Amino acid sequence: MNYPIYGMWDGQRYDYRRKAPKEPVTVVSGLPTLFPDNPTRGFIADRGFLVFDGQANLTQMFLQHMTRSAQESCGRCTPCRVGTQRLRDLLHAYAYDEAPAAVLDEIALLAQQVTETSLCGMGQSCAKALWQALTAFRDEFRPLTVAQCAQTPGYFGYTTAPCIEVCPSKVDVPKYIDGVKGGKFDYALGVVLEKYSMAASCGRVCVRFCEDACRRNAVDGAVGIRMLKRYAADTALSGGKSLKIPLPEVQRKERVAVIGAGPAGITCAYKLLLEGFQVDIYDAQKSAGGMASVGIPSYRLPKDVLKAETEILIRHLGGRFFFDKALGRDFTLDDLTAQGYQAVFLGYGASQGTLLGVKNEDPTLEGYASGVDFLLKVHKYVEYGLPFEVTGDVVVVGGGNVAMDCVRSAKRMGARSVHLVYRRTVEDMPAEREEVVACGQEGIHFHCLSNPSSLVIKEGRVVGVELLTMRQTELDARGRRSVEPVPGTEQVMPCDLVIAAIGQQVDGAVLRPEDGVTLDKWHCITVNPDTLETSRPGVFAGGDCVLGPLTLVNALDHGDRAAASICEYLLTGGVTIKPEARVQQMLATNKLLLKEPVEIAPIPRDRAHVPELPAESRVRHFKEVDGCLSKEAAYEEAKRCLRCYRVYSLSTARPLAHAAAAQ
Amino acid sequence: MQASINGQSIEFKPGQTILQVAREHDIFIPTLCELNDIDHAPGTCRVCLVEVRADGEDAPRFLTACDTPLQAGWQVLTRTAQVQDMRRLQLEMTMADHHQSCSTCKRNGNCELLAAANSVGLTEVRFHYTQGWENDEPVDEGQAIIYDRSRCIRCQRCVAVCRNVQNIDSLELAGWGSAAGIRLKGGSVEPSPCVTCGQCVMVCPTGALSERDQTQEVLDYLADPAITTVFQMAPAIRVGFGEEFGLPPGFNVEGQIIAALRKLGADIILDTNFGADVVIMEEGTELLGRLRQKKGPTFTSCCPAWITFIEKHYPDMRPMLSSTRSPQQTLGVIAKTYLAERRGIDPARMRVISIMPCTAKKEEARRPEHIHDGQAEVDVVLTMREFAHLLRREGIDLKHMAPSAYDDPYMSEYSGAGAIFGTTGGVMEAALRTMYFVVNGKELEHVEIGQLRGFENVRTAHVNLGGEFGEIKVAMCHGLKGTRELVEEIRAGRVDFDFVEVMACPGGCVDGGGTLRSKKAYLPHALKRRATLYDIDRHTKARQSHNNHQVQRLYTEFLGEPHSDKAHHLLHTSYRDRSVVRPADMQAVWGEQAEEGIK
Repeated sequence: MNYPIYGMWDGQRYDYRRKAPKEPVTVVSGLPTLFPDNPTRGFIADRGFLVFDGQANLTQMFLQHMTRSAQESCGRCTPCRVGTQRLRDLLHAYAYDEAPAAVLDEIALLAQQVTETSLCGMGQSCAKALWQALTAFRDEFRPLTVAQCAQTPGYFGYTTAPCIEVCPSKVDVPKYIDGVKGGKFDYALGVVLEKYSMAASCGRVCVRFCEDACRRNAVDGAVGIRMLKRYAADTALSGGKSLKIPLPEVQRKERVAVIGAGPAGITCAYKLLLEGFQVDIYDAQKSAGGMASVGIPSYRLPKDVLKAETEILIRHLGGRFFFDKALGRDFTLDDLTAQGYQAVFLGYGASQGTLLGVKNEDPTLEGYASGVDFLLKVHKYVEYGLPFEVTGDVVVVGGGNVAMDCVRSAKRMGARSVHLVYRRTVEDMPAEREEVVACGQEGIHFHCLSNPSSLVIKEGRVVGVELLTMRQTELDARGRRSVEPVPGTEQVMPCDLVIAAIGQQVDGAVLRPEDGVTLDKWHCITVNPDTLETSRPGVFAGGDCVLGPLTLVNALDHGDRAAASICEYLLTGGVTIKPEARVQQMLATNKLLLKEPVEIAPIPRDRAHVPELPAESRVRHFKEVDGCLSKEAAYEEAKRCLRCYRVYSLSTARPLAHAAAAQ
Repeated sequence: MQASINGQSIEFKPGQTILQVAREHDIFIPTLCELNDIDHAPGTCRVCLVEVRADGEDAPRFLTACDTPLQAGWQVLTRTAQVQDMRRLQLEMTMADHHQSCSTCKRNGNCELLAAANSVGLTEVRFHYTQGWENDEPVDEGQAIIYDRSRCIRCQRCVAVCRNVQNIDSLELAGWGSAAGIRLKGGSVEPSPCVTCGQCVMVCPTGALSERDQTQEVLDYLADPAITTVFQMAPAIRVGFGEEFGLPPGFNVEGQIIAALRKLGADIILDTNFGADVVIMEEGTELLGRLRQKKGPTFTSCCPAWITFIEKHYPDMRPMLSSTRSPQQTLGVIAKTYLAERRGIDPARMRVISIMPCTAKKEEARRPEHIHDGQAEVDVVLTMREFAHLLRREGIDLKHMAPSAYDDPYMSEYSGAGAIFGTTGGVMEAALRTMYFVVNGKELEHVEIGQLRGFENVRTAHVNLGGEFGEIKVAMCHGLKGTRELVEEIRAGRVDFDFVEVMACPGGCVDGGGTLRSKKAYLPHALKRRATLYDIDRHTKARQSHNNHQVQRLYTEFLGEPHSDKAHHLLHTSYRDRSVVRPADMQAVWGEQAEEGIK
């Protein structure tokens, strides 16, 4: 069916019950055929409802939807708590011919009341479509026929929110904020730990897609989601309290090798260990954490915080570490198979620096380093006390978070002066705003619209960098500005160390052709994006080695999903796409959760500020800059959450396979 | 800014809610969960609906007045037919999953939910959802405060008062859907931070939170001819009880209570004020000793919620607590020894029943330190609410009782010092009156020490004790939020005091967690009750504890002198470390999350 038979969407009425449209009508793309071999009969969301199958019974669809909504109601406010149950029961009575048609008036009134007077986004959105449907298509509300009563209807419900849906890991953000609001910090932490173990780390350094998506942005600033996550994680473990993660009840014999103890590998291992599998982790470094350890300086993410939720936790769960062991250097995939591993997760990251591509550039030169190599040395200095000296003047090239980490670390290592060279403007920098601001406070010299053209070498070492002034071009067709060099503006900036922090790439030497794992031209591993399977059976991959250098939370997501795939693979021999993944894909494609306005302004509450160390003193050491919220501030911040939950209901011709299996 | 309510044009400040503006203009909007006195508007009951029309909008909106800031140009209507229908439906839904057996409810007679139902004109409740609580087992571990989820309307006032007013933060939100409610962190009283101060009970709009009802136990004792019942009433009782029977706040009903107790059949009626006088003899002596040894500061020990606070939250501070038993326990222990001996009563057949403005006193009476060979010093503690219930069960209307007087020759006299124990600063003042006499051999010239009588939550003063001590530094706190701040300061060594009086309840005992409840108000009568206590002091012949003749007789005939071995054995107590550190137990957490939603 390439059009909805009838429905309402964003206030628009669609009615092709009597006459089919001349052209296909797509309101939400991909909906009718979302599940293979199981057509979608109808769809209910906050923005409306659509019916694709003349056989669908609208009463039954809304009965399914309100049944789910009543389960989702948290119970704090009256209209949602009781209203959703009452709507469910009235629909049920009408569907089974136990109530007269007049009950539809009562349902409409109640649906309006739940929509208009509920406290949070959940109640405000879950009965809206019902209210609209009863206004626009009341004649379609019929009791079930005898034949319909005999059928088992198919249903898939999915509850999410803008902040959840935009998060790669799909962490249930409002739920952990509820935990903080309710004074249950363990509970809040538990919501995060369902997805990944690195809650306190993510609570410090996540790039926060969730806060960009937060609907409160348009009112008085996004909810401080990340600071609340950190609060929950830090508090649940403060004052000498330990974390009691339950050991799995079932011990399985299947063994899995995880390559790389970075965020992706740790998460994959964590989830597999919780399922009872035997997991060994191999890493080229001497400690766990990967880029989160080596690449993120300890003033942003203290080593002990990271260690607690990586190395210590994995060992507690029975995982084994083999450090200083690199795939491709010390062993091959075939070796792992020979050792009896039934599945492998590749999460070795993207840890090679990218060259600037300028004259005289040579990675072996003294006075030259890539961003990651420099940060690795800093890491070893901080973590193990290995000697490393930074004196004189340092020039860092780049505008991303790694460049910020390099300049701030160089400052802390004792550089005389630290310069950041970036070819575009400050506004264009991909680094987080807070990082840019912090650099300013710490006395980093910014040289924007400036690009290196050549390194100045003297006696085999770098003594300066030649810079060209850049200028912005006119807006291009897509409304963006590029930059171009201004001829004749070459100027030498003398320095003792140049750090190229313009990006990382995947090490192409880890896998060889005979390993049977397909790579793309950037050496990234090619995977099935839904299942994270590679071209070699039993081998899965995720994180930066698949995505190229991306974010921590993307890696956490890959680790989590790869673990689910590996689990299914080991237990059933195959991997399937989960229905929620299909729904997530559909929501993303259609941008169904995109910046909805907040119609009635709530009582204004300012976003909390995280305490931080003063710039003058913090540049002398690697102690953590940002502090944790106070309890009072956390409670206040949690109150700012509008709980923009949305329930999506899909009625299908038959029960979904997974649902049948679950029953 | 300009808007209108019911056609009346009004000025308002940006950010003000509709409810705030309406109240400023004396326009009534029914509310339920909101409690202005503690700045609490959680927006959970959704009863305070108003109709709002704005230019350019076709349909009116229906908004909650408590949590919606008024906008310029809005026309707010509080009484349209539709808004009244919607409020009724809101209340109907609130009642639908509420335990509607009002006859068995502790709040029978003064429930805020019923008042709200009345104010919206509720006429019927057509549906019921009881699955959230119908299988709840009654929890009775002998704890002082009982939570009944079936009567909870999820207003979270208790959570707010515990967090923001007391800064104890012992409550958390639990459950989902119709099973939503609150619970103690840690699951029960002992492992929780709760100090049983009872402020949660004071703000609860329904019967969801209340003290464990012990009126039946008392009636059983009264009916048992083999039992000698000994009643005591706390200093604050007489000034906070008359309201229940229609008398003005602060009215002194000591005589009426004595008469009522006689009518109930009480065998012996004593006054906790007597215990307070004895406490001053002991605590004053103890304090002078500690001052001589330069062991400062010393904290008072009369308030059981404060004691629990130290034991649970700052156990390392226990050595600074005075070891003197509280007036309630002092009176109980003396009744079962000295009085029993004097009057020839078998203490095993004696039952001491206290009437207290306090929920924590119930816990205090159950402390193992206060039970000897299975025999409690105080057998039953009734809050003022239970005592009112007891009188009603026996058909006694206090308003119509002719005042009577004490007749026990051993333990019912009290001094003005004992009388003012019920208000903040009173214990301090009482102690100083006696300590001054002990140090200087003469009475303090001005017994009313003005600099102690403020009402701020934390107050400090310098008082000249004379003699070898000269000026000493004292502090007085009421309410645990300020107390915690002071304790932190003392622990950090930033401030230094010789003597610190603490009352856990804001307002002191006259507004304790066991006093009468107010509707839609928090602590409205503290100052009136306090004024009456000062008045009692002024009209009492002896103003100092050491001038109480019965106290003098107690020492001469029984205890010897303050801090004698016997006094020490009977009148002093000890404290435990009750702090709890719980691991974050993910098994439990994940189990709970699985129940709370199917995501």
